[in-house]
Amino acid sequence: MSEARRAGRRHARVGAYAVWQLRDYLKDRGLPTFIVALLSGYLGLSPIIERMPTRADPVPAGLLARFGSAEAVYAARMLEFNHAFLRGILGTIVFVGALFAMNGIVANDRKQGFYRFLFAKPMTPARYYGQAFLVHWAGFVAVMIVLGLVYGALIWPVLSRPLLLVIALMFVAYSGIAFLLSAAARWDWMSLVAVTVGATFLWARFGESTHPLSRLLYLLPPLHLVDEVYASVSGVPVYASGAPPVIPWSILAWLAGYGAACFAAGLVVLRYRRLAIV
Amino acid sequence: MIAFDHVGKRYRSFTGREVRALDDLTLELSPGEVFGLAGPNGAGKTTLIALLLGFLGPSEGTVRIAGLEPRRFIEKHGVGYLSELVNIPPAWRTDEALRRYALLAGVDASRLRARVDEALDQLGLNEHRGKRVKQLSKGNLQRLGLAQALLCEEQVVVLDEPTHGLDPVWTQRFRDVVTALRREDRVILIASHNLDELARLADRVGILDHGRLQRVVAMRGGGESPEGATAPYRNALARGAELVPEVFPGARDVGQGELELDSLTLEEINAGIATLIARGALVSLVLPTHSLLEQQFREAVSAAREDGP
Repeated sequence: MSEARRAGRRHARVGAYAVWQLRDYLKDRGLPTFIVALLSGYLGLSPIIERMPTRADPVPAGLLARFGSAEAVYAARMLEFNHAFLRGILGTIVFVGALFAMNGIVANDRKQGFYRFLFAKPMTPARYYGQAFLVHWAGFVAVMIVLGLVYGALIWPVLSRPLLLVIALMFVAYSGIAFLLSAAARWDWMSLVAVTVGATFLWARFGESTHPLSRLLYLLPPLHLVDEVYASVSGVPVYASGAPPVIPWSILAWLAGYGAACFAAGLVVLRYRRLAIV
Repeated sequence: MIAFDHVGKRYRSFTGREVRALDDLTLELSPGEVFGLAGPNGAGKTTLIALLLGFLGPSEGTVRIAGLEPRRFIEKHGVGYLSELVNIPPAWRTDEALRRYALLAGVDASRLRARVDEALDQLGLNEHRGKRVKQLSKGNLQRLGLAQALLCEEQVVVLDEPTHGLDPVWTQRFRDVVTALRREDRVILIASHNLDELARLADRVGILDHGRLQRVVAMRGGGESPEGATAPYRNALARGAELVPEVFPGARDVGQGELELDSLTLEEINAGIATLIARGALVSLVLPTHSLLEQQFREAVSAAREDGP
């Protein structure tokens, strides 16, 4: 029997440590996300607030006939207002939320030397940071629920299951990439911004190209399609004709799948990469 | 228990220049042993510890703890580790930091609070338990680092400059802590610039310079002085001082009634003192100018300097 076997195995209680990770997230990242989202919301609302419908607005006969009552027309107009607001802001909030949640999630501990005491304990970096990713994900969704409730209390109810699902999966799309970058590089947030801008530009510029090299674009996340995803859960314009938009599942799956694959790759990097920065 | 087998570590600088941090290092540490590691700045001590903890991988050779690659051993069993720089998130409170580390070290939920309280008591941190890490003095931060390293009964304990920043009282208490840590199945590695501390605590001391293990000095077991080792001495006599130059040619007056003698072996100094006493002298002081370890250190480092990198 080896000496190691004789010594007996001891496990870090990483699962129980999730409470500390959630506390860290809410204090250091969730609160800033909440504040930035509130400010963004305020700035997003300012230019359109005068167009917010009121119950005193005149109701055209056509709309009254279509919706059945003045209250229903008001509700439809508020949904339209939400549409204008959410479509403009949702993408920014999810991106910023992912950026805040993942910024330095691995790289900070490596740069500041916190990894030394952490990983003298009986646990793997992949387990510790993998759990941190999941905790930050849950924390971000919780922050978004609170923001939705605040918006609902002040303006009009906006929370729905499809909206939360899209937010949660779009978070995975961005934060999966950020996680991989943080595991592999020091300057993760700058890298994420570069990847986001680069992928959006390259897809928009060369996405329609038939050149064989354009296939390389499939190595990049399809971030040029995010607007379509957010539009599907932002409400319906009151004068829209045709069927209401549905969530483009294939695009969402592509985006979230890309993020999930990056997250998995990040775990592999953590499994094999040495922690010390030379 | 711990085996370095022909280990080398090379870094490449931005300009592409190769830097050898460790070179062909072979060393075995046994259970029950306290091993000291000494060396000038840049000798390779921190690199050796990073290799032992698996934070770096060797460029050549192998490192094993209980037969396992270091990360595999640590991920199964953990080690008690105090780094030279105590890096703990500055916003954490002292007791919070210990609770977090205890959880990650695998301390049972039922014992966690008691174990943290014990550690705070043992390292005199109780009055600072509510302070944030950034508010701690250098010495208190060092003690917090030591406390987190000792939360569990680890088989391997690695202490890098453990008394750095400690006042004399806590330096003394640290020695008591290490003495209490000695156990048949435990290896303790202490890297320090403080040779006196290593001489008091370690069974063997490895002297590292230019990335090479220059020599290993046995401090216990076979006696502090290896056979044939020499050291310079200071000598003072209450009576018969004029006899000293006859017995010890080359003795120099260094003032205040003290004489400095050339480097001598233990046998030579004992024989000389016996002669002085037999001739009626009254010896009041015989003291090595440097400790044996210091002497060995000087020799090893100057030999390495002569050999070059």
